[in-house]
Amino acid sequence: MSSESQNRADRVPLTQLLAGEKGRVYDLKGESTVCARLREMGFCETAIVEKVGGGYTVLCQVCGTRIALNSRAADHILVEKIEG
Amino acid sequence: MRAPVYALVGNPNCGKSTLFNALTGLKQKVGNYPGVTVEKHEGIAYSQHGQAMKVIDLPGAYSLASRSPDEAVMRDVLLGRREDTPQPDRIVCIVDASNLERHLYQVLQILDLGRPVILVLNMMDLAENAGVKIRVNYLERMLGIPVIPCEANKGRGIIELKLAMSRHELPLSKHRWDIPAAIAPAVSELQASLVDNDSKAPLIARAEALLLLTDNDHVRVAGSTPLHAKTEEILRSWKQRWSAEGMDWSALLVKARFAEVQRLCAEVLERRDATADSKRPFVDRLDSVLTHQIWGWLIFISVMGILFFSIFTLAEYPMNWIDSGMGLLTNWVRGAMPAGELRDLITDGALSGMRGIVIFLPQILILFFSIGLLESTGYMARAAVMMDRIMGKVGLSGKAFIPLLSSYACAIPGILATRTIEDRKDRITTILVAPLMSCSARLPVYLLMIAALVPGTHVPALVETGIMLLMYSLGTFGALGYAWLFRRTLLKGTPSMMMMEMPAYQLPSLRIVVRQMLDRASAFLVQAGTVILSLSILLWALAAYPKAPPGSTAQIQLEHSYAGEVGRLIEPAIKPLGFNWQIGVGLVSSFAAREVFVSTMSVIFNVEGNAKTNMIPLRDALHQARWSDGRRLFTPLVCFNLMLFYVFAMQCLSTVAVVYRETKSWFWPLFQVFYMTGTAWVVCFVVYQLGHLAGL
Repeated sequence: MSSESQNRADRVPLTQLLAGEKGRVYDLKGESTVCARLREMGFCETAIVEKVGGGYTVLCQVCGTRIALNSRAADHILVEKIEG
Repeated sequence: MRAPVYALVGNPNCGKSTLFNALTGLKQKVGNYPGVTVEKHEGIAYSQHGQAMKVIDLPGAYSLASRSPDEAVMRDVLLGRREDTPQPDRIVCIVDASNLERHLYQVLQILDLGRPVILVLNMMDLAENAGVKIRVNYLERMLGIPVIPCEANKGRGIIELKLAMSRHELPLSKHRWDIPAAIAPAVSELQASLVDNDSKAPLIARAEALLLLTDNDHVRVAGSTPLHAKTEEILRSWKQRWSAEGMDWSALLVKARFAEVQRLCAEVLERRDATADSKRPFVDRLDSVLTHQIWGWLIFISVMGILFFSIFTLAEYPMNWIDSGMGLLTNWVRGAMPAGELRDLITDGALSGMRGIVIFLPQILILFFSIGLLESTGYMARAAVMMDRIMGKVGLSGKAFIPLLSSYACAIPGILATRTIEDRKDRITTILVAPLMSCSARLPVYLLMIAALVPGTHVPALVETGIMLLMYSLGTFGALGYAWLFRRTLLKGTPSMMMMEMPAYQLPSLRIVVRQMLDRASAFLVQAGTVILSLSILLWALAAYPKAPPGSTAQIQLEHSYAGEVGRLIEPAIKPLGFNWQIGVGLVSSFAAREVFVSTMSVIFNVEGNAKTNMIPLRDALHQARWSDGRRLFTPLVCFNLMLFYVFAMQCLSTVAVVYRETKSWFWPLFQVFYMTGTAWVVCFVVYQLGHLAGL
């Protein structure tokens, strides 16, 4: 039970990861065409995303590619923080 | 037997155009950012045995479910929907080997089309550097198609690819992936209906059925031929059923494909330990500095400053050489030919017009060289990230930055580059404001006016750079301001999203940069040799006829001529801006191309054919120009105002034509002419009248 709530707390929109943190995509929420496009660019469920930096426009590494997303797009991506 | 047709497809920026050039020996523009190719290009490649093969280079796309006009080109060609292009017999699918995981998604979609496919693993060197090892044989066996490792930029693997392409029989992939059980019945039902009712080939029908279910907008998928009512009904009822169940079918399909990609990757990718990834920290550092809120901007502004400063300082010597060379040529013609109309036509019409234009060649070369250099290093995409925030504020996406930046060279490639923008309103706004970015055709006008500001003496390079930066920023801020306005009024819509792949940092390829620069320069010279040359001759004739009574001065001759008549006709409209009818002739002729203004001035102020006057450079001729009441015409205020006019006014017929083609409507190009030229008039009116009051 406690581990369950622990997990929930670790689930955040990609925009809330700090630079250098990694997360595993667990859901895409919002406008469906945007979600489909994000999946095609590699932000598919279970993909591992590393946030490299950026404020308004997020730079992240996914599937071996560096991708820039502005916060409106990055807000569609929900990730679970992972260590390391 | 006709030559087999090959289509080159792949994700953006995976090297399709580089491979296309290597195969066909053509010189398609390549660049290190996504979306350089926005239209298809065709060429012929020859196999080792001299057999001809037609190759079509298609714009990059992440998926067949296209969302922007450039991606639609790829889907339509592959599905055989473009009337101007034969449906490709075979497909060469190119992936970036260092990014196999992401690029394989599209490969699977392409395999679904049921055509013979050759898979090219491009950029094997980058993959190796990143510590990725691919079991090529394994991949070949799993997909059942030829897989060819290659480094297109170094010409490695091209022969192997040509050998595979010239094979008589290419195997069809036997690879199948599992369509999710919930969706499979819908796919087969749609496929059957597409075959029976829409008369599609069975394998195409399967791919189309999958597309219809991946992309929610089925009108967009179906293209120009609407779906048969029965097919549409099947689609609707399935979607209704799934919606009621709360199932997201398109997500399910995409996920199933990705699961298959991950399964494949797990088998064929052999990753060495992470220490091989030694470049990452460096790239991370570079990215965070280049896109930093303070450092990023400092770097961006310095890069642009250096670019413009070098345009003025480095170009000075070659410009002087060209000037004196053209002067010698004019004198030689004058000495070698008997006096008469023909000699005047050549010296005062053709040569003086050409001289005014060709002299700017060195500066245009430097501009294109610098832009090419920045593009090929990968910096341009980072600059787009920097600009995204500003772009977002005015309602555009960061993707609009590259079209706008290209517009500094010329609005036409800039407007073509907007095809990568998914949202239509976003795209039209970008098209509308793109010509406000000062293009290279304005450069000659600015340079002439800056020179005329301080006649006789040499303008310091720093002052030149300063004024130039001012003009470029006025255009830029004008563009952003109007984008803001349009997105709030005419083209209201949801703010757009930016999703853009960052290309890898590379050492610029000097060969590619120089070739692109030479391509642009030759286009410029061809323009100078054809349009501008003929306009110069036409203008000379318009200014030389009908003849004034013998013995009249040049001034009287010009007033007496056709050109004078046209100029005087529009003079009332431009007099409040401080422009006289001679400038009016220049403004009108600028509609052919803005730089024509300079050659027009050369022709108009040299019409008297006096050898002495001809030797004086144009700026001194301008300095001597007077209103009829003896006031100086080109006062610093007027020079400045003319620059302002050129910053804002829409004076380019080719751009009007391209905007019409891209928007498929006359409303937008006409609106653009009206709002831009209107702005130019109002700005110049205010500045001139205020300046006048201030006694300038």
